[in-house]
Amino acid sequence: MNDASPLSHFGIGVTFEDADVVVAAIGEVDIVTATDLGDIVNAVIDGGHSSVVLDLSRCTSLDASGLAVISTGAHRLRLLPLGGTLTLRSPSALVVRILAITGLDQVVTIDEQMAPTTQLGREQSTGGMAAGNGFDAEMGERPLREAHSPDTEAHSLREVTAIAADHDVVDGALRLVVALARATVEGADGVSVSLERHGSLATVAASDQTILDMDADQYATGEGPCVDASIKGRWFHVESLDDETRWPAFVPKARTLGINAILSNPLLVGERPVGALNIYSNTPSAFEVKDERLAALFATEASTILADSGATVSDGHLASRLVGALRSREVISQAQGILMERDGVSADGAFTYFLECSRGSNRSIRDLAEELVAFARGPERADSETIWTRDD
Amino acid sequence: MTSSARSDLEQGRIDAGLTLGELFVRYFELGGMSSPIQVEAFLYEALEPSAHDHDIVAHALNERFVELGGNHPIRYATDALDG
Repeated sequence: MNDASPLSHFGIGVTFEDADVVVAAIGEVDIVTATDLGDIVNAVIDGGHSSVVLDLSRCTSLDASGLAVISTGAHRLRLLPLGGTLTLRSPSALVVRILAITGLDQVVTIDEQMAPTTQLGREQSTGGMAAGNGFDAEMGERPLREAHSPDTEAHSLREVTAIAADHDVVDGALRLVVALARATVEGADGVSVSLERHGSLATVAASDQTILDMDADQYATGEGPCVDASIKGRWFHVESLDDETRWPAFVPKARTLGINAILSNPLLVGERPVGALNIYSNTPSAFEVKDERLAALFATEASTILADSGATVSDGHLASRLVGALRSREVISQAQGILMERDGVSADGAFTYFLECSRGSNRSIRDLAEELVAFARGPERADSETIWTRDD
Repeated sequence: MTSSARSDLEQGRIDAGLTLGELFVRYFELGGMSSPIQVEAFLYEALEPSAHDHDIVAHALNERFVELGGNHPIRYATDALDG
C-alpha cells in the first residue's frame, strides 16, 4: 500500500478482508485522482466482488468527483443480480452530512470502525484549504460515534446544525449545488459560489483549487464576471477569453490558469445581489443555451437556499427540503435509466410511461420509481404486488 | 387547444392550493429542468412549454389532487392532442 504525503500525493491500496474488498484512498480525492479511484472501484466490481469497502480513514479531502465515485459504485453494486453493498469506512463528519443531504446515505453503509479524530487532526495540519476546497476540511473535532441511519437523519442533521454555525449548513447546501452543477453542466471544468460576507466577496464552495484561484484573482483585481455578477446582479456568458476586453487585469490571470469560457449568474435575495454562481471551462465556446438555462436554474436554487436560510435553517427545514427534492429526482432518474435500458425508450418516453402508470394506479411517480429500482436490484426484494414483472 | 390546457395549469395550481414555489419544488422533484421563472411563465402563457414540460407540471398538480382525494383532473399534453 502506498503511503503518501497528504498534500501532494495520492495513493490507492486494495486489500481483502474475508468476503470484503477494501479499497483505501490515501490523500486527496479530487477531480484528477477520482478518475483513478473510480477505475479501481469499477475493476473490483467487474471482477465479481459484491461487497466493497471504501476506506476513507486516510483520505484528507473528498470533493464532488469523489462523491461521484461513491454514487456510481454504490448504484452499480445495488443493481447486481444478487445485490451488493458499498461500505464507507471512517468518513469524516462533514462527508457523512453531505451524504445525508444528497441522499447517498440511502445507498451506502457507513462504518465508523476507526474514530476519525486522527483524520480531522491531519486535515487541520494540512492547512490552507480549510474553506471551500472539498467537503472534508472544516468540521472541527467532532467524531461521529454511531453509524448514520436514514431513520435518524433529521435528528442527526439537527444535531450537526446545533454544533456548527448556521452558515455552515448553508455552505454545505451550497457545496451540494456546486457538485450538482459540476456534474450536470456539460463542458464545466469547475464551479464555485461567491458570497458577500463581512463586506467583501469570498468563495464559500468551489470544485477545486484552480477555481478557488480564479475567484481569488477576481477579488484581488476587483474585476471579472464573478465580481460584476455579484455586484451588478447581471448574468454574464463569456464565450471565449480570446476576444474579451472588459476585464484587462483579470483576463491574463484566467488564461494563465487555463480558463477560457465563463458563465456567472447572480445570486439574489429579494432583489439584492449577494453573490454569484460561477461555471468555468477550459474550452472556448464550451457552453450552449441549455447550459445557460441550467446555470440559471442552479443559481435560482442557490438563491432560494440563501433566502430560506435566515428563517428556517435552525429547524432543519432547509436540509429536509433538499433531501426530499434531490432524492426524488435521483430515484426517478435511476428508474428512467432502467426503463430506457430495458425497453429501449427515450428519457421522455420513460417519463410518459411512469406518468401513465401513476395515473392508472393513483400512486406517485416517486413510489413507482422506488419500486422499479428495488425490483431491478432483485425481484425477490420488491413488493409481491409489483407491477414491474416482465411479460416476456 | 394547448392554450386552454395551459390556462388549466394556473387554475389547477390555485385549486390545488399550491404556491408557485411549492409547485416548482414538485416540478423539480419530478426531474423538471426549467427555472422557477420559466415555470411561472408557463402558467401565465408567457412561454409555451414543451409537451414534456407541460406534462411534468400537469402531473405535479395531479399528484397533489390525488393527495387531496381527487383523480388527475388536469389534462396532459397528449390528452389535448387527442382532443
